Amino acid sequence: MNNSKQLKMTVYTSLFVAFIAIGAFIAIPVGPVPIVLQNMFVLLAAIILGPVWGLACVAIYLLIGLAGLPVFAGGTSGIGKLFGPTGGYLLGYLPAVFVTAAISKGLGKRMSSDIIAMLIGSLIVYAAGVPWLKVVTSMTYEKAFAVGMAPFLIGDAIKIIAAAFIAKTLRPVIKL
Amino acid sequence: MAYVTPFTYRQGQSLLHLLDVRCKFFMICLISMSMLSAHLSACFFYFLILLFFFNKAGLNIFATLNSIKYFILLLFFIFIARALTVKGDILFSFYGMSITEQGLNEGILVAFRFFLVMLTGLLFSITTKPSSVKSAVQWFFKPIPFVPEKRVAVMISLSLGFMPVILKQAKEISDAQKARCSDLQKNPVKRITRLVLPLLKKTFLSADSLVLAMESRCYNDDRTDPEFLPSGKEIPFLIGSFIISLSLACL
Amino acid sequence: MQKLIIDINALCHTFSDGYLGIKNVSLSISKGEFVILAGKNGSGKTTFLRHLNGLLLPDSGVIFVNGHDVSKHLIQTRKTVGMVFQDADTQIVGDTVFDEAAFGLENLKVKRSKINEKVTQVLEDLNLFHLKNRSPSTLSGGEKRKLAIAGILVMNPEVIVFDEPFSNLDYPGTIQVLSTIINLNRSGHTIIIATHDVETIISEATRIIIMEEGLVKEDGKPDSLIKYLESYGIKEPCSSKLGLGLQPWLT
Repeated sequence: MNNSKQLKMTVYTSLFVAFIAIGAFIAIPVGPVPIVLQNMFVLLAAIILGPVWGLACVAIYLLIGLAGLPVFAGGTSGIGKLFGPTGGYLLGYLPAVFVTAAISKGLGKRMSSDIIAMLIGSLIVYAAGVPWLKVVTSMTYEKAFAVGMAPFLIGDAIKIIAAAFIAKTLRPVIKL
Repeated sequence: MAYVTPFTYRQGQSLLHLLDVRCKFFMICLISMSMLSAHLSACFFYFLILLFFFNKAGLNIFATLNSIKYFILLLFFIFIARALTVKGDILFSFYGMSITEQGLNEGILVAFRFFLVMLTGLLFSITTKPSSVKSAVQWFFKPIPFVPEKRVAVMISLSLGFMPVILKQAKEISDAQKARCSDLQKNPVKRITRLVLPLLKKTFLSADSLVLAMESRCYNDDRTDPEFLPSGKEIPFLIGSFIISLSLACL
Repeated sequence: MQKLIIDINALCHTFSDGYLGIKNVSLSISKGEFVILAGKNGSGKTTFLRHLNGLLLPDSGVIFVNGHDVSKHLIQTRKTVGMVFQDADTQIVGDTVFDEAAFGLENLKVKRSKINEKVTQVLEDLNLFHLKNRSPSTLSGGEKRKLAIAGILVMNPEVIVFDEPFSNLDYPGTIQVLSTIINLNRSGHTIIIATHDVETIISEATRIIIMEEGLVKEDGKPDSLIKYLESYGIKEPCSSKLGLGLQPWLT
């Protein structure tokens, strides 16, 4: 990779780090539960940046939060949040972004393949987040699913469709 | 970024402000780790120490608590969940659920530990400049192979710089759309794309000009190392935190 | 005749979509000149400027800066020709004013003590030193643009290129930036300013170059070209329209 292209990816990845951090605070009011856009930006980072830079993106986001800068939801950060009850979702972004990016790339970056990739990515986030929530709070599995997954599923479906549209329009603009 | 993050760096000259950031990093890791096995009395003891440093840094602990109220609510749920699910001597029961003595104790302990780790982290982010956090990250990554630590540090700076720009543009876009009655749009997919798409397009364009600006200022990965300004009190602080974490782990 | 600093010979640039950006431009600029590059939006000004700093390389033709071929001496060129971009917000890399000004020197791997010395001196010269710990995003428009100038001044450039330096600035901001630019010229820097609005600076310039559709259409003294500006889509300054000739904008 030549120097200029690498610098471009460095800047774009940093931009997505910022979007993921801010996504925790941007909520779109739809019905009773507002839709928070953070996980959508993680999925977008995956299908736009690709596996390697996507993974770097999430890793740097977590690193910034872990290092004490206030980028996690609720304006808090640090070890307490990452290993707190909702830390599983945050750590789940790591495998999710990589797998989503790899699938999207492997299937040829079409809209349908993006949707499949993002569906799998979202499931990975829950696969990490829900058991973590269960262990930390010692809820039952049914309860953990009811609290930590079910309320967000409709919002996730909406976000995945929106992300697929966004990626389709954005790719020709940023020419990666 | 002010309105989304009530808890960020505040300027000051307290002991913790002046302490070398690498030392603070090390202390926070040590103490958070030992917190996992700390008992209630040790936790309380450590809480008093934290109160002292909050005071030293010129911070009001109650204002601090207010800014993390959702986290405290979450801790309360953890406490309830523990109290209800841990088996043991029943204290009282209602509607078929029962609270046990052991559950109560364990709930308090777990919630208290999380609370203290959170407060420690907060104290760190209040007293540490973002740019020194970045320098410390770079320093700690230096011995780790395959991690381009200097580029990581630049990326941290860049993303922190992008945040206020994105927020400002998000507000502009959303206001411009509200002015054209976007609130009438009920389709959630359209609501999201109409906000996010212009936002991404706009910020990617500014990212492109940033690439040029960095190139024109000779950016490359081989850069001058950051400098650290130790306050001279690092050794006593390190010893102190060793003692604290030992007592947390063993008491 | 003063020493030549930029010498351009038959420069052509074609974009990847086949659009001709620059068509066969030849000109030279001497040390200490104050040049306005005027033209409508899309006339090729920005494309032309980017060649001076090696951000774009010519498809045919050559550019010499201080006698060195730009495409073979990129770093040398970028040290000699500093570039201030149109949007000050998007060219900020550092978390604080001080870090932002230091970015270029860090890229050149200058020793930390030298960096601190140079950055302090430049920030003091531009009257920004009292802001050194502020986050650049909190500065006013004029201060931001002065910071962008500081960011390249630390590298001791001989030529400073500005792309629309007064866009989006309020009146005090424009005054700040304008007087900074004038002082830079007086202290021996060669200034090149691309703009579609010449009103504020034309009385300071020693030379005006008018571009249209990638071609240099006119090149001469401001007072001899002032009446032709409007035929190229550039507004003639008020004072000239009123028959008062060229009046300094800064009083």
